Amino acid sequence: MTRTATARGDVRLRGVTRTYGTGEAALTALDDVDLDLAPGELTVVLGPSGSGKTTLLNVIGGIESADSGCVRVAGQELTAHPPRELVGFRRERIGFVFQFFNLVPTLTARENVEVMIELTGRGDRRRVPELLDAVGLGDRADHFPAQLSGGQQQRVSLARSLSTDPDLLLADEPTGALDQTTGKAVLTLLQETNRQGRGVLMVTHNASIAAIAHRVVTMRDGRVHSVERNAAPAEAHSVGW
Amino acid sequence: MSGIMFRKTLRDLRRRLPQFAAITVTVLAGVLLFVAGYDSYRNLSSSYDRTYERLRFADLTADGGSPDRSADAVRGAPGVAAVTTRTQADRPLRIGGDKLIGRVAGLPAGAQPAVNRVEVASGRGLSPSAPDGVLVEKHAADTFGLSPGDRLRAFDGTRWRSLTVRGVAVSPEYLWPARDRQEVLADPHSFAVLFAPEATARALAGPDAAAQTLARMTDRARGGGAEREAAAALRKAGAAHVTERAEQASNATLHEDLKGFEQLALGFPVLFLAAAGVAAYVLITRLVLAERKVIATFLAAGAPRDKVVRHYLGHGLLAGTAGGVLGVLLGMLATSGMTHAYTAALKIPDTVVTTRPPVLLAGLLFGVAVGLLSGLAPALAASRAAPAEAMRGDGGRLRPPGPWSRAVGRARALPLTGRLALRELTRSRRRTLATMTGTVLALVVVLASVGMLTSMRSMMNVQFDDVQRQDATVTAGPAAGDLTARLRATPRVADVERVTKAQVTVSSRGRSYATSLGGYERGTAMHGFRADGGGDARLPAHGVLAGKALADRLRVSVGDTVTVHAPDGRTARTRLAGLLDEPLGTAVYSTRDTARTLTGAAGNAYELRFAPGTGEAERDRARARISGVDGVVAYADTQALRHQFDELLSLFWVFVGAMLALGAVLALTVVYVTMTVNVAERTSELATLRAAGVSLRRIDALLAVENLTATLLAIPLGLAAGWAAASVSLRSFNSDMFTLDLDLGPTTLLAASAAMLAASLLSQLPAIRVVRSLDIARVVRERAQ
Repeated sequence: MTRTATARGDVRLRGVTRTYGTGEAALTALDDVDLDLAPGELTVVLGPSGSGKTTLLNVIGGIESADSGCVRVAGQELTAHPPRELVGFRRERIGFVFQFFNLVPTLTARENVEVMIELTGRGDRRRVPELLDAVGLGDRADHFPAQLSGGQQQRVSLARSLSTDPDLLLADEPTGALDQTTGKAVLTLLQETNRQGRGVLMVTHNASIAAIAHRVVTMRDGRVHSVERNAAPAEAHSVGW
Repeated sequence: MSGIMFRKTLRDLRRRLPQFAAITVTVLAGVLLFVAGYDSYRNLSSSYDRTYERLRFADLTADGGSPDRSADAVRGAPGVAAVTTRTQADRPLRIGGDKLIGRVAGLPAGAQPAVNRVEVASGRGLSPSAPDGVLVEKHAADTFGLSPGDRLRAFDGTRWRSLTVRGVAVSPEYLWPARDRQEVLADPHSFAVLFAPEATARALAGPDAAAQTLARMTDRARGGGAEREAAAALRKAGAAHVTERAEQASNATLHEDLKGFEQLALGFPVLFLAAAGVAAYVLITRLVLAERKVIATFLAAGAPRDKVVRHYLGHGLLAGTAGGVLGVLLGMLATSGMTHAYTAALKIPDTVVTTRPPVLLAGLLFGVAVGLLSGLAPALAASRAAPAEAMRGDGGRLRPPGPWSRAVGRARALPLTGRLALRELTRSRRRTLATMTGTVLALVVVLASVGMLTSMRSMMNVQFDDVQRQDATVTAGPAAGDLTARLRATPRVADVERVTKAQVTVSSRGRSYATSLGGYERGTAMHGFRADGGGDARLPAHGVLAGKALADRLRVSVGDTVTVHAPDGRTARTRLAGLLDEPLGTAVYSTRDTARTLTGAAGNAYELRFAPGTGEAERDRARARISGVDGVVAYADTQALRHQFDELLSLFWVFVGAMLALGAVLALTVVYVTMTVNVAERTSELATLRAAGVSLRRIDALLAVENLTATLLAIPLGLAAGWAAASVSLRSFNSDMFTLDLDLGPTTLLAASAAMLAASLLSQLPAIRVVRSLDIARVVRERAQ
């Protein structure tokens, strides 16, 4: 693995293919995908279920390998490296936000953030209160997930992913399990994160969210159907669905 | 383990406290059993050794030949620390109204011998100025209530001589009061040991005096080549039989007992620790499954897999270590109590209680190892979670039904609840296998314990119903004449037979075995001869029958010729006509004519049977009356031995009861943990059923059917494994002194199976309570998020 750039969150995919299964049961999730994302961009990937959005996210995040093609993310060449060899890359470069939060139920909000710093050895525990303040949960730091609403849990999840100071934040349907109000609050945080210079790649089936992106990628049947640039991204709090 | 993750581990344990507590208690039980059992076993061994060391217990006891020549042959030989000679003879005794066969052993008057000393527990030692003063061995003194100053009489072959008890003595030869290896269990009123001044012993023994040479080896030479050379030298010098320390009746009996302790100390803990391991495995696997997405999230973020492994190992490690530490602490307390109780019950004069750090450490490590091993598989599984799983929701991972589920689905005759429950068996094979393993382990504990009890009872039934059919044995003096008619005239005596009894040594090709010879009429009704291999044997007109262990001891086969050495020194060769299967001892039998030819003894004893329905009081009256008959020198009541054995078995029930309770704990732990995990894994499903209006009784029935089916499937395996374990356990006790065959009747097997089903039903109650208290709305809301 070689690192040749210091830009935050650039992505370059060439001829990337990913197939699940073999023979008649084979399902091509990514089919010869070419994609370039500039550093510091907020990108939204749209597409119906089964179009390959999540697989694209996984390949960029280094948690799945492409069967063929070249993948370069945040200045690092991922091609031909299986996920187990990309632990360091993920630790240093990537942050994840998931639809279902995936918080540890027996840890408080503060501990759920701290645990990531402890496990990855990256980040500064002293910054955790600041991170929680930033996502608006400074006063909920000692609450357990069961004591938080879905939106609050997703904000903890966001603070957790930011705790290791990643170059690129990958968010898989971050508002999928939330109502509109809390969803918009989460989008606002993601937008703020992006404005701090960090690349954000968000997968969603909600076309309204595309309005906040610098770039909108639409996928269909495993292929990049279109890439559109948005010259004037909307403010997250202004979108509705 | 680092800070936050350790905190998480502690909270995980607290969230599942009852389950982890059950696992900890099971580990505790296993470690406690190991520490207390193994240390007590070692303490008992040390206690015996200390007494043996203090009282200079002989390593070699040579019978027959010239004692002076035998002593000269080994005195000063390499490794021989001390040698002494003495006279020993079995003589009739009268103690109060009892007549019995006693053993008189000579001691230097006024001094301790170099080998086989005695400890005077009360009274005074022997004195040259009191030739009729004797020491009574402690067990006999306790049985007959003898104390210094009491008098008793011994028959010297011609007349009864009066003796005075000077003191009560403890002897290393009789820590367990066994006359010989054929009678390690005897009517306590039929045997007593006296220690008399050597001259008195020789006078009492008369022509039956058996000269003995006793040798004690140095510690370094004990059990080694020098001891074997010394034994060979004794034989070469004319000794008919040399008994090594390991073969000595009392010591061998105590070591058989120790063997049982060793099994308890090693076998049972393994079962408990295995059960704890299975339960912990199920519980930690459940935890990992529940946190799979969280784990995937950590891994996606670049957390090293070894940290994930260490975290989930920590759960098992903590539970195992807690059980290990508590087990070690309680084990230390129990060790002292068990050792003292045991040495007190056996009247062992020395009690050595030592804390052995390696044993404590091993106990602790067992607990830790159980925790680590049980957590290893789920921890590794956790570390192998695909980071991509973090992206997925809960749904969408339905597996197609397997052949079992499809088959159950077609069985439309079954009620839906039954079909659902049966399908669950293969839905989580891990859980089903854990329930089955718990049942199997519990059945092994139960059957191995109960099997010992039922087999011992069966052994006694065979010995006293099929083999020794007499109710009493009467020994007559040499000048008594034929007492058959007089004995038959005793009220309640239904049958009497004149028999011959002699202590002999049988040898072949340099090997010898000291045993007893019984001479009977060919069609005797007093003794049953169970042929080795089945069926009844008949006394041969020529030759002898012998217990099957003799074949191994002397390396002889049926048809071989063996030499019989009589107490008076005569030797005769005879044919081994057959082998017998007898539970107690390895005796030799022949017709009375053959016995006379071999030993010179003729009809020196009588065996008799009472009429059916004779009560204990009538038997006692018969005993008193027969003991008063002129010429009768000893009376041994077979029923008294049986009664004594029954009492011993009743004590054994305490052990079996404890094992049954522990077996129940074991089964309850595993099934309880699997059932609660079952409910936890299916919370949303069960909540949905309840939300849909399915009655609680129906859901209870669903869980019960599933659980009972898994238990039922395990019962045949458990019965087979329990049978095998009990059989192996019993076989380890088999020797020339005991032959224990496993006897587990259908009632026992049925009762054990029913107990398992009951334990299974009982252990699911907490899980059912969880179902009843399900907050349906909360569960549904949580899942929707």
